[in-house]
Amino acid sequence: MLLQLTLSGVTQGALYALIALSLTVVYRATTIVNFGHGDFVLGGAFGVYVLVILAGLPYLPSAIAATALMFVAGVLISRGLIDPIKAGPHIGFAMMSISLGYIFRGTTRVFWGREVLPMPRVFDVTPIFIGDLVVTGDAMIICSTVAILLAAFFVMFHRTGVGKLIQAVYQSERGATLIGINVRRFHDMMWGTGLAMGAVAGILIAPISLLHPDLGASFLIRGFAAMTLGGFGSLGGAVVGGLLLGVAEQYAGAYVNSSLIDITAYLVIVVVLFVRPSGLFGRRAVVRV
Amino acid sequence: MKRTPKLATALAAFAGVAMLAGVAAAGETTGLTDTTIKVGVMGPFSGNASSYSKAQIGLMAYYKSINDEGGVHGRKFELIQEDTACEPSKGIAAAKKLVEQDQVFMLHGNSCSGVAMAVKPVILESGAPWIVAHAVNPNISMPPTANIFHGVPAGQAYGESMGRFVLSKPGTKNVVMVEHSNDWARSYADPARDYMKEHGVEPSMVLALERGQTDSTAQVLKIKQQNPDFVIASLYEAETVVLLRDMKKYGVDVPVMGAAGTDLENTLARTGDLDTVKNYYVPHAFIDTVQGPKLQKWNDMIHKYYPDETITGFSAVSIGSGVAVVEALRNAGPDLTRSKLIAELDKIHDFDTGVFAAPITWTAEDRHGVKSSAVAGFVDGKPTVLDSWNKPML
Repeated sequence: MLLQLTLSGVTQGALYALIALSLTVVYRATTIVNFGHGDFVLGGAFGVYVLVILAGLPYLPSAIAATALMFVAGVLISRGLIDPIKAGPHIGFAMMSISLGYIFRGTTRVFWGREVLPMPRVFDVTPIFIGDLVVTGDAMIICSTVAILLAAFFVMFHRTGVGKLIQAVYQSERGATLIGINVRRFHDMMWGTGLAMGAVAGILIAPISLLHPDLGASFLIRGFAAMTLGGFGSLGGAVVGGLLLGVAEQYAGAYVNSSLIDITAYLVIVVVLFVRPSGLFGRRAVVRV
Repeated sequence: MKRTPKLATALAAFAGVAMLAGVAAAGETTGLTDTTIKVGVMGPFSGNASSYSKAQIGLMAYYKSINDEGGVHGRKFELIQEDTACEPSKGIAAAKKLVEQDQVFMLHGNSCSGVAMAVKPVILESGAPWIVAHAVNPNISMPPTANIFHGVPAGQAYGESMGRFVLSKPGTKNVVMVEHSNDWARSYADPARDYMKEHGVEPSMVLALERGQTDSTAQVLKIKQQNPDFVIASLYEAETVVLLRDMKKYGVDVPVMGAAGTDLENTLARTGDLDTVKNYYVPHAFIDTVQGPKLQKWNDMIHKYYPDETITGFSAVSIGSGVAVVEALRNAGPDLTRSKLIAELDKIHDFDTGVFAAPITWTAEDRHGVKSSAVAGFVDGKPTVLDSWNKPML
């Protein structure tokens, strides 16, 4: 049972990790916590639904197109809605992101609010049995897809020129501006990247769950919990936090009480903020006086 | 200072008008003309429970079909739809609007027990006949009041049917319950638990599976360890599918009794695999399966007025009480009043609606109209209405 729970926890955690990482990408670049992100995660899922079920396109091109659409949506949100209010109070960003999420959710409710939508099982992978352990097709697809994405992301971030530029802007926007980097465009790209990565999580969630417009909320809080556990602003921490949260939910549900699964994320946030506010990998804030 | 008497006079006049309006709202013929009957239909047309509003869509389709047949005693139904979003505060606002502003003759509909309980005082005070056509909390119509009628099996009837069916499987002693932690789930699970307890069986384990969860590995592995004879799952549609899929994944081959709100055909469509749902059973208030021949005329009627509507287990659930109300309106005659309608509703005894498996009976002492429910399950791969374990309804 322990192994099975761990595997299931890692699979769920991989999705949380992707969501937490996509939140962190935007947060590190812009210091904005995107409270509407859960709904944008579902944006990827609904995008695939429209393209596969309604337009009749194959799954893989639909997934790529939905991800690209969410990237463009992120860029447009950054350029059209976030950039114009940057001179205002910081809380305005939070209000804007909450509002955008609700607008998106409300719009999907107009079309699909009265249905619970199934997604076809596109990858019919036969499960592998290792003794009592069942490695399901979903687990294999989710873990391998997320692993490839994360590997590509971190290689790009640490080993390429683009990654070095991103790191430079992360460390000092003013310095980056002085050496000729277009910070405004950088923000656009990070919003686009954040929404696209979130969309991939939604695309992976859709076939294992059923689609309805309110599904995103539960993933948002798990993304926040993973961010908190890993340390705000830590890209690697977001991933580790997501995986640990997924496993913690399963252990708590199986060994303590199944009611705990739903509140594990909240417990993690409370405990981490109380015991170690900087999380596992976050940097302690130091103020020089 | 000079304005004060004028203001006081104006306020007094306004209060007088408001009182008169209130009296009118409580009037016997409020919402009636020679050619129309104004009916308020409240339901969750938006929000995260909006799939329940299929019940109100079915009901409105039925009233429209009666209008197309000429109405009742020359009066056609004027339907006023109000959204509650399954939220008590919005429900109260909707009820007040229907009663005070729109001045409806009667109200019919209401999914969401929490909303129905919240609006109950408003509607009681109004005196308008109210037929609850989807929400299952028995306390909505219990104890009986002057103007409230329950037109669907209440949670008690559904829950007892669930418990009865589970125990009808020979040798059932070990039952695991999986449920959401909310009133909706408890309205099914508690009566089922009570019924089983009366018959000497207590759940060996109770597990929570909350709304929005996309994985139930922990619950399913605990079920596997428990090796039960039956699982009772009081879960919404999406989580039902998550549980059934995970049970199949981990090789847990145990029959599952679901709650009303899911149905076999749509659960099969959502899982996409008969093997996953072959052991799934649901309380089923209807005379036939959702897509069965006896319900087909109702499904066709819904599609006539709402061509894009997807038919689910919610679609016909409010039509049965609609049929009973039309019968009472016909019996009340052309000189209709609220009192006459209420009196005629209380004369509805053993009334076959052509929708529900059980008849509707209302009396002044007992307003729970539908006392029992059948169960539906797959037999030889086909959805079948069952009296008990392995015994199809004739």
